[in-house]
Amino acid sequence: MKTKYILLLILPLFWSCSDDDDEYQNIPLVFEIPSNFPPLAYDVANNPPTEKGFELGKKLFYDGRLASDGIVSCGFCHIQADAFTHHGHTFSHGVDDAIGTRNTPPIQNLAYQTTFMYDGAASHLDLQSIIPFTSPIEMNGNFSDVIIMMKADATYQKLFKIAFTDGQINAENMLKALGQFMVMVTSSNSRFDKFRRNEAGGILSQQEQAGYTLFNQKCASCHATDLFTDNSFRNNGLQVNPAINDIGRYRVTQLDQDVYKFKVPSLRNIEKTAPYMHDGRLFTLEAVMEHYNSGVVNSNTLDPLLKTNGKLGIPITEVEKTQIIAFLKTLTDTQYLTDKRFSEY
Amino acid sequence: MKFQIKNILAVVAISVVLFSCTNNDDESITGEGSLKVEFDNIYKTADFAANTNYTNSNGEIVSVSKVKYIVSNIVLTKADGTTFTYPKSQSYFILDELTPSTLVLNLSGIPAGNYTKIKYGIGVDKAQWEAGATGQGDFLTTAQAAEMMWSWSAGYKFVAFEGTFTSATVTAATQFKVHTGQTGTDYNYTEVALDLPENALVRTTITPQIHIMADLSQIVDGTNTINLSEGATIMGGAKLAFVTSYIANMFEVEHVHND
Repeated sequence: MKTKYILLLILPLFWSCSDDDDEYQNIPLVFEIPSNFPPLAYDVANNPPTEKGFELGKKLFYDGRLASDGIVSCGFCHIQADAFTHHGHTFSHGVDDAIGTRNTPPIQNLAYQTTFMYDGAASHLDLQSIIPFTSPIEMNGNFSDVIIMMKADATYQKLFKIAFTDGQINAENMLKALGQFMVMVTSSNSRFDKFRRNEAGGILSQQEQAGYTLFNQKCASCHATDLFTDNSFRNNGLQVNPAINDIGRYRVTQLDQDVYKFKVPSLRNIEKTAPYMHDGRLFTLEAVMEHYNSGVVNSNTLDPLLKTNGKLGIPITEVEKTQIIAFLKTLTDTQYLTDKRFSEY
Repeated sequence: MKFQIKNILAVVAISVVLFSCTNNDDESITGEGSLKVEFDNIYKTADFAANTNYTNSNGEIVSVSKVKYIVSNIVLTKADGTTFTYPKSQSYFILDELTPSTLVLNLSGIPAGNYTKIKYGIGVDKAQWEAGATGQGDFLTTAQAAEMMWSWSAGYKFVAFEGTFTSATVTAATQFKVHTGQTGTDYNYTEVALDLPENALVRTTITPQIHIMADLSQIVDGTNTINLSEGATIMGGAKLAFVTSYIANMFEVEHVHND
């Protein structure tokens, strides 16, 4: 990677004798769909990732100047080592110490998701960034101000010029660059993936195998496919926190049947994304297991799958809990968690 | 004498034919011109004024402090049935009642011709939405600056209609807000197609002005009346779909200037 960049730095020197710098050829990035993944939801052809588009997106992702306080970048709450979540934070703090009401979700394999945010408020990945960028309790950002900032910044001037055909420093290209960065942030090389693809290193222990079998029986109807979500919205029986009374999906649809429903999250790298649930109320995977075993609270919109045979929840024995948790830890993808391409530094 | 009169008549007739030939629109219409589309907000039968009381058919009295809407995707139809679509990337406008300059759209690069119809959207169309940021250019920035970004859902407010109201049951002036835009159930973009009462004659030398009246009362007092007393914040749900359908009916072309 490094040599590549050095080469890129040197190449224009040769060209500048005969050609203008504008002649730099932006290199398309290869975007491959892992064979065990569900179909793509994002239209890659509409915003094809390129080397410079991705680099610009990454710069934007880690630039605190996008926020009104000059500090809270996207990467402030989305930390790579924690699968781009905010380690240990039930809720995150945005600008001016404002506190949100939902737990920071991971950034991984977003090109396969049809909706974003716990309530599905965004339906296009390129536009999703608008929500945290402009939210007064997150980055509180302003497109006009940020565009002025970028237009005065030599690195941004250069990157926008190379990354996009029209070279414009505007909201469209800013969001597309962020989209390119997020589309490329893929986690597909956990031990589980290698197991599924029959690749070297793809071996699950007996306990993990038993956990996978149990998972398929008890969890996979909602945590479907190898990305472990069916992209639906469900009420999983959490006791409503009266201090927040987060109505979930209802905020978007105003349909009574959507009250207290939240998006089924992917479980990839779940070992690294504690605390759990939309409001980060559960600190351990053991607590999550126990919630489904004994903590499910009935309500009008409780998911029917958590109310079968007149009983609430999903019975899980102590042994089964350890087996399922052992399986869930095979979803940890060290390559993605440490991939230099996604790192701030 | 008879011959003379005949001759005179013939000469006049010929000259009329010749004259009209040289002035025949169909033959001399070439090049491009401009067109102005003026949106004139009214409330029922009165010219609209902000912060002024109007009474709806359900007896509620409204005083409106903010009226903004997005006009988009302008398509013009010529007398011969052919259409001209204004370039999509330049076809999004935010109109603000309190900023008069925004109420006249100055369209340029229009092929000269006799136009009989105008069609436009209220809001940002779904095709544009599904393309993500692509094609949005500076419009997101403009929308945020105009407070027409619906940032909680990463979208636009298509119409923002706000103010205070009183009714038999709500006696103290109470704030109301009607915002349309994409929700989880409805897209809420709507198209308006209007016939022009007289042709808009776009020429290199003539910039016609289409004068459109927008009856804002329709937003809450349309085919059915929305009772603000039952809920004064309308930003989603079934009522929003009604509001969208009323909005489609609130426009009318009053006249066309061809000066």
